[in-house]
Amino acid sequence: MSSTISLKTEFVKGIWKENPVMASLLGLCPALAVTNAAMNGLAMGLATTFVLLSSSLMISALRNFIPHQVRIAGYIVIIATFVTVADRFLAAYLPVISASLGPYIPLIVVNCLILGRQEAFSSRNGIGRSLLDSLGMGLGFILVLVVLGIIREILGSGSIFGVAILGDWFTPWMIMILPPGAFLTLGILIALANWYNDTSRSKDGGVVS
Amino acid sequence: MTEENPSQAQPEQPEIPKKPRVKPKKDPRAKLYKPETPLILASSPHFHTRDTVPRIMWNVILALVPATVLAVVYFQWAAVGIILTSVSSALVAEMLVNRVKGEAFTIPDGSALITGLLLALTLPPSFSLGSTALGSFFAIIVGKHFFGGLGYNIFNPALLGRAFLQASFPVPMTTWTWPLTARYADVDGVTAATPLGLFKFEGISSELSGLLTGNISGSLGETSAIAILIGGLYLLIRKYADWRIPLSFLLATFLVSGVFWWISPESYPSPVFQLLSGGLMLGAFFMATDMVTSPVTALGAWIFGAGAGFILVIIRLFGGLPEGVMYSILLMNAFTPLINRYTRPKFFGEIRA
Amino acid sequence: MSKMSLSTRMILVLTLITVLSGGILAGWDLVTKPKIAFHRLEALKTAIGDVLPAHDTYTSEETEFGTLYIATRDSSDDPIGFAFMAVGSGFQGELRIMVGLTPDMTQLTGIKVLEQIETPGLGTKIVVDPSNKQDPYWFPAQFVGIHVSPEIVAIKNVKPTHNNEVQGITGATISSIAVTNILNKQIADIQKAWASKGGPES
Repeated sequence: MSSTISLKTEFVKGIWKENPVMASLLGLCPALAVTNAAMNGLAMGLATTFVLLSSSLMISALRNFIPHQVRIAGYIVIIATFVTVADRFLAAYLPVISASLGPYIPLIVVNCLILGRQEAFSSRNGIGRSLLDSLGMGLGFILVLVVLGIIREILGSGSIFGVAILGDWFTPWMIMILPPGAFLTLGILIALANWYNDTSRSKDGGVVS
Repeated sequence: MTEENPSQAQPEQPEIPKKPRVKPKKDPRAKLYKPETPLILASSPHFHTRDTVPRIMWNVILALVPATVLAVVYFQWAAVGIILTSVSSALVAEMLVNRVKGEAFTIPDGSALITGLLLALTLPPSFSLGSTALGSFFAIIVGKHFFGGLGYNIFNPALLGRAFLQASFPVPMTTWTWPLTARYADVDGVTAATPLGLFKFEGISSELSGLLTGNISGSLGETSAIAILIGGLYLLIRKYADWRIPLSFLLATFLVSGVFWWISPESYPSPVFQLLSGGLMLGAFFMATDMVTSPVTALGAWIFGAGAGFILVIIRLFGGLPEGVMYSILLMNAFTPLINRYTRPKFFGEIRA
Repeated sequence: MSKMSLSTRMILVLTLITVLSGGILAGWDLVTKPKIAFHRLEALKTAIGDVLPAHDTYTSEETEFGTLYIATRDSSDDPIGFAFMAVGSGFQGELRIMVGLTPDMTQLTGIKVLEQIETPGLGTKIVVDPSNKQDPYWFPAQFVGIHVSPEIVAIKNVKPTHNNEVQGITGATISSIAVTNILNKQIADIQKAWASKGGPES
């Protein structure tokens, strides 16, 4: 499949311009639910990226064999397989992280980011491009989850990656490790990103690409 | 291409530099305060009362004076510190937002001052000043200006600030001290449950005289029912608050809690106790009546008050918390657009479809 | 491929995908299963070790109210303590608490909350209280030596004076009471169950 879009663009777009969480609002359930600490955000991001990469590989390889009518069923079975692999990997080798993420690892199956990329990209592109796209999207997802996790952990627990950085003078804002803190932080982050995009666009002369 | 067809390219070119740059919008309210233009073309209504936003706001502040004075009398320097911190942080936050949005300073309209003062009156006397400032900032920046500023906010900003503090610092927000003038004043800063907390967790009723005068433990401005009533009645008489909202709020609380009390007087507190305790009076007269976040129609006001009263009793009797005025008003705030929509009066001659 | 009818192709492809998935999962299960089982057993052993005094081994006994773990030393067959998992509802969701009892089942030797979804920073103090720098485990620790009859009571604002009283958590009254309620109910159940199985030696 030939495409006019450069390979670099396919990779980079997922990190900022088409960032799954900030631009497409995909995968919000894990982005909101597990980011009460930076470590949890990182683990969830890595697990999701693993599932994204391996299902992209398989689906782009099989894309010409899967009949259009049953493609969603096929994709879901493939995604569920890799989610189970990731879930059992964490349970077997990283039991502490597995316990703190709880049911959210199995729930990667219904993360629309993954199914969305398969349907929109991997089922129409070759293996190389699909992997690049998935890697970019996965990195974008990890980036947002870790940033969310860091902000919420600093304000909600006074630490980063479990290391206390704020002294005893700081009273943690409990709300930040509760669900409302996730919504507030993500909302403010998206607002800032849109504001940044708007101002940098108007500097270009008001042309929206 | 362009070299061959200069005629086609020309009309497009001069347009680009001409494109008017979007100027930062000035606050449309600034016009309302000082009408400078001699001729104004406007749609109805053409007759105005002398009420302006600042006039209403300053009257609300006047009505809050009795409760504020009593707060200072009962809790002394603790109250002074919290009130000053909360109000000044609200003003600073308002100024910052004005600066960032590039609009006219809106401090003179008094709304930020009210938000700061109301928030202070809902805080426990031992609350830390730093957290108070944080709550004020949240109330003004997120509660008011994220939604578009005064007149656009869905939720009462002061209550939203309080909800933020409640979720952030649950222990300090529910640690109460006796007023310095109360019976137990000989022990310095002893913690004490509020009358509602005492009833909920230990089954002890409080004396009604304490609830009326405010010589009980509780938030700064909510302990005395009488002080709030004086200010509240002033607002109602001057028509700066819709009388239907506090009346229906209090009535619904009285009736619903009365039914439970009638069924089992041992396990549920009396409706009179429910009316006088906690933040109900302050909430009913000063927070539920916020013009921006309550329905505009008469029927809507009844529904709003009754709904808040019902939710309040349910939270107080069956929820995990002893007090629920804040949540009941915030929940009904969320319903306000819906209530407005369904209680819209008919046009003259309109036939229901 | 193109000669095949569409429905045959659909069936064939989906079957292939599921067989492939099943193969991957079966293989991966062989690798991870022993490790996961090992972690589970370790967690159980640690939990029992945390709530009971030092012992060499334990046996498990199925009762109508769940599994009862009986800890013994190598030197004698007399149990030195019992442990069981108490499950009940907390403020927001299920609490799973490992409970340790003395051989006569009248005193607690320790409790450990293994699973909970209480409010972070408040109800979670039933596990660990980071705001108390000297003694973050003060809440579970005070259950050691507590008498289970007539029943365990969580009290507020005053220091416990009786041997069946523990100090509740300020701001998390419901979580504290949930723990004592679960203990009271299920200790009574397990006492009955053990009595019907031969009972404590007393």
